[in-house]
Amino acid sequence: MTKKIFAIIIVVVICVSFVFSASAYTQQYVIDYADKLSSSEIEELDLFAEKLESAYGVTVLFCITEGTGDVTAAEFASGTYSDYTDNENGIIIVHDEWNKAYSSFISGNADEVFSDAAVDSMIDAYDSNDSYYGGIYACYELAEEYLENGYSGGYVYDGEPLNNDTDTIDASEEKGGVSIIWLPVSLLIGLLVGFLIINGIASKNKSVKMQENATVYTRPGSMVITGSADNFLYNNVERREKPKQTEKN
Amino acid sequence: MSTILEQKCPCCGGAVEFNTGAQRLKCPYCDTEFDITAMPEDTSNQVEQINWNSQGAQWGAGETDGMSVYVCNSCGGEIVADTTTGATTCPYCGNPVVMKGQFSGALKPDLVIPFKLDKKAAKEALKKHISTKKFVPKSFLTDNRLEEIKGVYVPHWLFTCDAMGNANYKAKKVKTWSDENYEYTEISYFDIYRSGNIGFDNIPVDGSTKMPDDLMESVEPFDLTQAVDFNTAYLAGYLADKYDVTAEESMPRANERIRQSIIDSFKETVKGYDEVENQGANMNVANGIYKYALYPVWLLNTKWNGENFTFAMNGQTGKFVGNIPTDKKSVTKASLLLGAGIGAVIYGLMWLIELL
Repeated sequence: MTKKIFAIIIVVVICVSFVFSASAYTQQYVIDYADKLSSSEIEELDLFAEKLESAYGVTVLFCITEGTGDVTAAEFASGTYSDYTDNENGIIIVHDEWNKAYSSFISGNADEVFSDAAVDSMIDAYDSNDSYYGGIYACYELAEEYLENGYSGGYVYDGEPLNNDTDTIDASEEKGGVSIIWLPVSLLIGLLVGFLIINGIASKNKSVKMQENATVYTRPGSMVITGSADNFLYNNVERREKPKQTEKN
Repeated sequence: MSTILEQKCPCCGGAVEFNTGAQRLKCPYCDTEFDITAMPEDTSNQVEQINWNSQGAQWGAGETDGMSVYVCNSCGGEIVADTTTGATTCPYCGNPVVMKGQFSGALKPDLVIPFKLDKKAAKEALKKHISTKKFVPKSFLTDNRLEEIKGVYVPHWLFTCDAMGNANYKAKKVKTWSDENYEYTEISYFDIYRSGNIGFDNIPVDGSTKMPDDLMESVEPFDLTQAVDFNTAYLAGYLADKYDVTAEESMPRANERIRQSIIDSFKETVKGYDEVENQGANMNVANGIYKYALYPVWLLNTKWNGENFTFAMNGQTGKFVGNIPTDKKSVTKASLLLGAGIGAVIYGLMWLIELL
């Protein structure tokens, strides 16, 4: 019975962690062509950007690249933005590591929040940080501040106050929710766990079974171990990279 | 025609029965109690042999195979039983009778564990057994009727031996550590060997084909320290069978249990590993002896939806076993309700985490 309960708990934990991890990480907001960030850092920054998107309806992308190829920096920024999101309202900041240059592209109503001065301050925040992760995080923090300011009717540097009546950006509708799609997933997991628990209880109705051994008939004190050997065969070592902050060049 | 033995009351001549409470023989007619040792083991001089000439059809060749005919000493009624029946009751007068030839000579059991619990205790145990189970069909609780309840002395072979064996195991040790940049997991594999001796006393193996082996093993263990030398007087009032599975035929089952015991017992000496898995075992047995014993078991038969359900109770310890049907609709309903609840909790937690 203890084994069954343990197995059920394991299943629940796995299922719940699957749901949470799946619900928390779905879209890519930080594009790291230059391979400067670890996967866990990207995941964490993506979560931040996803939070901004769900709260304000604005997509904030950040791209680190080593060159823009045959296209101009502006074309690269707009192309990357289109490649990674369908949201009409958003911004992308591109850091060209190779040319030590920055470019940005703003789409839809996002230009009401992200003025030139706002974009410059975000780039400054990124540039002045020691690590790529820290820089992008600071950039996103500023973006959050500007978005919140814009929705509350405030001013962003020299920009105009945000038009709160736009249909495309409605913070009150999007803020603080879990997609309804996770409801059937949660129910499915619940049903699986419920089925396991109830069938575990119902299985107690069967009490007739053959005995596995005759240990109960062992003569007390009769067991004597006459030979014993524990031989080492081989071992495997697996190495996994720890999440860490990447230092800038 | 075979002969039968009835334990008669010296006071009134009524057939006496073994009383579980007093652990003595008791006359149900005049309530006189007797010690088992006070009763004669063999009263063959009292046995009457009556021959009747049949005017009906004669048994054909082979028709009487597996069947024995006895005559009741009290009423003269003819008792037809199979060849393994050792004790029963007369279907005409209800007197308990023992087929003495079934337990004489080489067929005489070495030991018998007398019944400690009576029919009433078995009925109460059945009620308790059913009431503590979940998802039992309601109609099983209401329509289920106890068809038959009988105390049976079940023949068992008891095997005692010194076993010598060896077993191999594959074991794992898991070690984890980390440095500034990496997390490491090291899994070390070991080949483990153990050999040794274990003594076993009185491993029981069901000696009757009439009794399901899994049912008999489920009511184990019996306390053999309370066993007594066999006396037919203990059988009075109960059913009893002689063995129809020989000791030689029962040995493979005893060996199987001994082998598994060696694997399990030696495994307990393998310590300091995270996982241990048996890879095989060998076994030899020395000083093996076996005994023939009768174990007390209450059998209860019920019928529900045209299906028979057999329950068994250890007549000495009261351990009760028996499979009970489950109501599939109730199980489905409960699974859905619980599942919906758990699902809602998971979704609620997601909301909570999102809001925080």
